[in-house]
Amino acid sequence: MSNMRTRNLIAAIVLLFLCAGYAYLTAHLPTRAIENTTQPSFFPWVITFCLAVLSLFLLAQGLLPIVSTKTPAGVDVPAKRLVFGLILSIAYLIALPILGFAGANIPLFAGLMMLYGERRPIWIIGGSVLISLFVFYLFREGFQILLPAGILDGIL
Amino acid sequence: MNPDIIDGFTQASQFETIIAVAAGCFIGLIVGMIPGLTISTGIIIVLPLTFVLEPEISIALLLGLYVSGMTGGSFSAILLNIPGTPSASATAIDGNPMAKKGEAGRALGIAITASFIGGLFSFLCLFFIAPILAEIALKFQSPDLFSLVFFGLTIICSFAAQSLVKGLLSAVIGLAIVTVGQDPMMGTARFTFDQVNLISGIHFLTALIGLFAIPQLVDNLADVLRGKSGNAGAANIKSVLPKLSDLKLMRLPITIGAPIGSFLGILPGAGGPIAAFISYDYTKKLSKNPEEFGNGSPQGIAAPESANNAVTGGALIPMMTLGIPGDPVTAILIGALLIHGLAPGPLLFIENGEFAYGIIFSFFWANIFNIIIAFIGLRFLVKVLVIPQTLLMPTIAILCVIGSYALRNNFFDVYVMFGFGMLGLIMRWLDIPIVPLLLAMVLGRQLEEHLRVSLIASKDDVSVFFTSPFSLFFLCLAAASVFWSLWVEHKSKQKQQSQASP
Repeated sequence: MSNMRTRNLIAAIVLLFLCAGYAYLTAHLPTRAIENTTQPSFFPWVITFCLAVLSLFLLAQGLLPIVSTKTPAGVDVPAKRLVFGLILSIAYLIALPILGFAGANIPLFAGLMMLYGERRPIWIIGGSVLISLFVFYLFREGFQILLPAGILDGIL
Repeated sequence: MNPDIIDGFTQASQFETIIAVAAGCFIGLIVGMIPGLTISTGIIIVLPLTFVLEPEISIALLLGLYVSGMTGGSFSAILLNIPGTPSASATAIDGNPMAKKGEAGRALGIAITASFIGGLFSFLCLFFIAPILAEIALKFQSPDLFSLVFFGLTIICSFAAQSLVKGLLSAVIGLAIVTVGQDPMMGTARFTFDQVNLISGIHFLTALIGLFAIPQLVDNLADVLRGKSGNAGAANIKSVLPKLSDLKLMRLPITIGAPIGSFLGILPGAGGPIAAFISYDYTKKLSKNPEEFGNGSPQGIAAPESANNAVTGGALIPMMTLGIPGDPVTAILIGALLIHGLAPGPLLFIENGEFAYGIIFSFFWANIFNIIIAFIGLRFLVKVLVIPQTLLMPTIAILCVIGSYALRNNFFDVYVMFGFGMLGLIMRWLDIPIVPLLLAMVLGRQLEEHLRVSLIASKDDVSVFFTSPFSLFFLCLAAASVFWSLWVEHKSKQKQQSQASP
């Protein structure tokens, strides 16, 4: 079985499970006692039906060689870097409400610079601090977008 | 003359609007020429600005970026053989060989001029066709509007995906996401899990930022690791103004490219790359010197460039008159209008005629400033290509976060954006296109509303969709687009099989 067919098969199975979950939630949507009208669950049922049919088609494409199965070019990034990027992003999302935009953007920027191959410490520190603060002040003061400063609120 | 036309021109010619158009063109040229940054990414970067600017100014900024982004893509295609945008892929075929012959300036000049003429042609199409189409669209009833939106979605799926099933799956996932939040008819909360943040639904701009920006950042990381870059600063750019002989040679490709681009722009989902390759192909077939194509032919540069810029005006026609976006950029434009309480569609010309014509004339100014800034600033602009990715990519990442936060001043949207980024990566792995999902998120509420209103009015009689001539026409077009897509898929399978068995 080709690589793409395996992917189609996995996707179809996951989608069928999601479809079942969506159908369950749709079945439990509140109903309205208004005559001659469609219920709030009407459109989600249409979607459930379409999703189920299309997922079954995808399942068939995974099981049978009925369509072109050219595998798309993969992302050629070492797994270590992808994991580092993912951890960095999750840490950033957790820290963002606490540290605010300026405080959280600086380490994110520095981490991303390292991820993209920058190794010079002065560039990393200088670039991350200057650009992060510049962007923060540009949007907060220049464009009046209320970007929270988190725990640095009194300082910035 | 319609007074809205004069008012619209006045509005588009205000000092602030002109400055916004010029700024948009400047940013667009830079974004377009940097390989790995698409026009969508450029628009995402400036998106937070549009929340605070006046609607006419923010739309002018976005239009400038849209038009110039198309032109900017050709710069890196010509100088580095790396198309800055997918629409400039065809330009690289002849642009780069010409640059290698030491005629980079000539190639760039031809590209800029062809882009300008293509853009201007599409402005005329927009100016003359949009009001007529809006007038026709005013006659549409709910069943017609449902069928129109349905057709828009099917044609997007047909163009966007190699597999129709995957295109439709993407759209259906988008429609499922749209059902989160209040039901458009009765206001009943659906799939909100008692989360206050979900009551108003998931904003498609948040989804768009995640779906486009995060996979792009990962892609660019792969490019950086592969060492895919070039030195545009070393290019030999002498005179950029095209000579009379070149202008004569450009007549045929522009005559082909501009109408093809404008027409394909009107079709949702077709977009710049398809228009560029079709016009390149036709020009090659009709040219007196087809053997020159691929070796630095001026016609090979002018054809795709006039076509991809003509797409911009064409794409604005369904967006403005029917509220149907043809690509992610016009989807963002719809978002920018909605944020300011302006709903694109036929009523835009009736209720806000001045504003509608203001958009059209801003598009005209965008084409004018595009050529001016491109010619004057070319030597400076190409230096941008040497900006290190180690600074550029983190900057884009933080701008995306700010963009998703600023939409509703809510951290929740940042998390949603990140979630959509992951979804974008998974969809790419599965070869499922993201554009149908995005456009389904834009059109989903309309689709549901028109479907339910039609059924309520007809007392659940589905024949209402087949008895109205407009509705029937759109449903036939939808069926045709599905069959066409299946036929293309079948051909592709046959080709693959014939290649596999020699």
